[in-house]
Amino acid sequence: MNAVRRRLQTSEAIAGWAFVTPVLIGLVVFLIVPILMALWISFRDWNGFTPPGQSTFVGVDNYRALLLEQGVKRFDFALAIRNNLYYVLGVVPTQTAIAFLLAVVVNQKFLRGKSFFRTAYYFPSITSSIAISLIFIFLFQRTGAINFLLNPILASDNMNWLENANGVFHNLFSVFGVTTPPTFLAENSVMGLTLWQWISGPSVTMYAIMILATWTTLGTLMLVFLAGLQGIPNEVDEATMVDGATAWQRFRHVTLPMMKPTLFFVLTIGLIGTWQVFDQIFAISAGGPQKTTLTPAYLVYREGFRGSSMGTATAVAFILFIIIIVLTLIQRRVVNPDEV
Amino acid sequence: MSTDISTSSPQPATAPAAAAAPVDAGQPTWKRIGKRILGYAVLILFALAFIMPFALAIATSFKTRAEVQANPLGLIPQQVTFEAYRAMAAVDLPRWAFNSAVVTTFVTLGRLFLDSLAGYALARLKFPGRAAVFALVVGVLAVPGIVLAIPRFIVLGQLGLLNSYAGLILPLAVDAFGIFLMKQFFESIPKEMEEAARMDGATIFQTFWRIILPLAAPGLIALTILSFQGSWNEFLHPLIAAPSDPSLRTLPVGLALLRGAGGEQLDFPLLMAGSLLTTIPVAIIFFTFQRYFISGVAASGVKG
Amino acid sequence: MPSRWLFRITALIAATLLAACSGGSGFQEADAPPADETGGETAAGGETAGGETGAEGGQTLQLWGAASSPAEDAALQAIVDQYSEETGNTVELVFQPEYDTTLQTAFAGGQPPDVFYVGDLRLPDLAEAGVLAPAEGMIDDPDDFYPSLVEAMSYDGTWYAPPKDFSTLALEYDVAALSEAGIEPPTTWEELAAAAEALTTEDRVGLVLGAEYPRWGAFMFQNGGAVTDEEFTEMTVNSPEVTEAFEYLQGLYEQGYAATATELDAGWPGEAFGQGKAAMTIEGNWMVGFMRDTFPDVEWAAAPLPEGPAGPGTFAFTVGYGVAANAANPDASWDLVNYLVGPEAMLEYTSQFPVMPSRQSIADDWLEANEGLDPFLEGADYAHAFQFVPGFQDAVDTLNDGIQGVAAGNREIDQVLSSTEQAGQGVLGG
Repeated sequence: MNAVRRRLQTSEAIAGWAFVTPVLIGLVVFLIVPILMALWISFRDWNGFTPPGQSTFVGVDNYRALLLEQGVKRFDFALAIRNNLYYVLGVVPTQTAIAFLLAVVVNQKFLRGKSFFRTAYYFPSITSSIAISLIFIFLFQRTGAINFLLNPILASDNMNWLENANGVFHNLFSVFGVTTPPTFLAENSVMGLTLWQWISGPSVTMYAIMILATWTTLGTLMLVFLAGLQGIPNEVDEATMVDGATAWQRFRHVTLPMMKPTLFFVLTIGLIGTWQVFDQIFAISAGGPQKTTLTPAYLVYREGFRGSSMGTATAVAFILFIIIIVLTLIQRRVVNPDEV
Repeated sequence: MSTDISTSSPQPATAPAAAAAPVDAGQPTWKRIGKRILGYAVLILFALAFIMPFALAIATSFKTRAEVQANPLGLIPQQVTFEAYRAMAAVDLPRWAFNSAVVTTFVTLGRLFLDSLAGYALARLKFPGRAAVFALVVGVLAVPGIVLAIPRFIVLGQLGLLNSYAGLILPLAVDAFGIFLMKQFFESIPKEMEEAARMDGATIFQTFWRIILPLAAPGLIALTILSFQGSWNEFLHPLIAAPSDPSLRTLPVGLALLRGAGGEQLDFPLLMAGSLLTTIPVAIIFFTFQRYFISGVAASGVKG
Repeated sequence: MPSRWLFRITALIAATLLAACSGGSGFQEADAPPADETGGETAAGGETAGGETGAEGGQTLQLWGAASSPAEDAALQAIVDQYSEETGNTVELVFQPEYDTTLQTAFAGGQPPDVFYVGDLRLPDLAEAGVLAPAEGMIDDPDDFYPSLVEAMSYDGTWYAPPKDFSTLALEYDVAALSEAGIEPPTTWEELAAAAEALTTEDRVGLVLGAEYPRWGAFMFQNGGAVTDEEFTEMTVNSPEVTEAFEYLQGLYEQGYAATATELDAGWPGEAFGQGKAAMTIEGNWMVGFMRDTFPDVEWAAAPLPEGPAGPGTFAFTVGYGVAANAANPDASWDLVNYLVGPEAMLEYTSQFPVMPSRQSIADDWLEANEGLDPFLEGADYAHAFQFVPGFQDAVDTLNDGIQGVAAGNREIDQVLSSTEQAGQGVLGG
């Protein structure tokens, strides 16, 4: 029996490597090698035009300028981290929850027109981002539909969404009469940003972009959840039909545990994707107004392709890389997918 | 429709014994109907909000530029014009579409094969270095793509793959996202089936091919849709991989040329017409494949 | 069974590996002179860019440009074809989307095109990197170009890219609105402020003006201010001249006589102007095509920018043709550039469009074809380039963000100027 098990183990080891080798070769050639090159560049002063071999070695200067030295680079990097942090905190839970809900609903057996609803909910994912941005801009104009709906609630007069650098939390504080920061918050700073600036919340414009991003990724995530739900055998599926408390309990104790691997996937992909938000920023705000939608990924583009400092750009990318990895590990602890 | 299959379901372990309680029991009929109507109303409202932009894109593509200014949200053009579609007849649309189709087909096939193999190994096979390989896959995702543009160009240049189909296809076929997706999906499939097959003396590859892949149909469908969509819309890679050969342009790259067309102001009808033409194939793929998402498909694979 | 594509993919991977082994490490070889676009290194991939290099009949050149409207692209293609026919050289004109990114990648990868567009804003970066060939002595009759444009296409005293055409900022106004109010196009700051006030009504502002340096900078020049000195050695942005110019503009926004496009629910100022939400705006030559296509019924005209206390001032935006420093075929490349910026080709191209020829000798011919655009042309005499030194982008962004804040009324002018000064000093080392 032991011999059999050993033989099985050996063959699993061989098969395991055989299965991953093709993709591993591709990963090394097209991703690992470029990533190592970029890492190498992050320790150099390179203008991004001449062959990289002609750049000069500068040690950790690029990292130091971003993290330690007082100046515009560190300030912008801190702003980008702050902006992106609020973006992640706002988008990831929302998109995960709504996508899961949509998937559960359109997976119901008794639902008529399932195909229609699934396709409809997938549409924002495939509609061109330009079309979506365009409509989005129309909706969020001062005289647009969003303000039309919100004016009575907010008691505000045609809010300016698209060029509004005011932090949402700052706005909230001002409702309670706090418009100037307490001295403690104004005088202490981290990475060149005062604590008051750190707790600003996303700017109104960033908030609008968060709504847009959530809406466009819902379809894709719904699809992933849908695939996960399909893997759950029928009798379990039937048990999750919506009705009162028992259904909720079954959902909670049956469906949810079975969906853990999928949930882990969606959360991880969501975390990684939101920390790299670039497309919407590039298309809509280019970092403005007043740098409140500047994100690390956009900073990479700005430094590398507009500012000719590829060294700084790659350094930003690798600090971002470390942030993402650390957060993913923490999240993995929390969701604990192995405990299925 | 699929209750007959449930008996052969491989997953009795977590299914609660009392799962068969009738739904909606004990509620008056009018309440049930009211609930249904309310439910559908919410679903339809949602659907409308999601389809609106697409409908608007169609309408805009038939408007004049002046009308887009005057009446941006109108769903029916007052004065229908085919100007945008005529302008697109002047560009090499068939060639771009052909290139996109070639690239997308090979990339999707490649990903289906490579990702499911690797995903299965990472989910189920115990081999030394497995954790490291998985860490590598996730780690690769965590590097923003824009920073890799130049290094990738250099690699492709060294391999002699610039301005070639191979250079367009191969880097996209390697896809950490898909490996991760498939790994997580395989993990949610019950182990009993493959263990039985292995005991019957099937090799690992046979087990994977005959037993696991059919069970993984929903995951493969999702991967197909996502891969198709992703590679069909991919912009940065084809842009840098084939810069000096216009005959290798894909649809997104070609259509991006039209973006400059309006000077300071974007030519919205033209942009919308272009994006519609790129969207439609993806919509068709989605509609075709998602219909195979029928509860019980996973289990029905057992028959084959 | 899928064994067929299994085989195919394995074959592809094997090919990749083989190529990887023979390809070297990537960094050392990148120092080699750029591969001739048409052959050499790319041959292994099977699909090469063009025809045969060094063939008897002539040379094959690649010319890269940023795409503009289909009509403009077609006009340039026609001129390039003409050249190919006359000289026997083959020129492949490739328009690139995301032009700057694509060009930079090609350079970094050691495979730049032979001839390519260089924007004024990007020129210092390319020149500093040493990837541009000097234009001195390569172009016929160089003194014919507007000096301000040649300067914009120069770096550290060396002229690199002959300008293909240019645009300037002027004041565009709604003819009907001005005549209703009984006022003439303003020519001074006082008149501009008065006109903006007089033209502001319930549902229209007097002036729609972008809150960004490429617009506000013109007012800095008109008051004798600038972001840096002319040699880019020190920051001069935190000065009374600039402060005064900003205060003047801030006043217009504050009083409601001026607005940004977003405040008027428009994508950019031209759109707000066309929609009649503003009676005046400050934009460039591109307004011509835009108004013709989008607002054909609006009657508008252009006037020179009003003069400030220190005289006139505006921006000129220009693009030139660059040749790679280590071009495989410098003679043929410069021959092509010389043809493209020659008077005949330039006039043929620019007379079809509102962009202006960079040669003074054909200005009159151009005006004949583009009536009423003299205010734009006039700007060439006193225009400044929108240009700094490499690495200055951070400071420009800081300034732009500050300007947005000043226009919105939530930032103090002196604070904006001093933070811009700090950001710029970091780059200039002052």
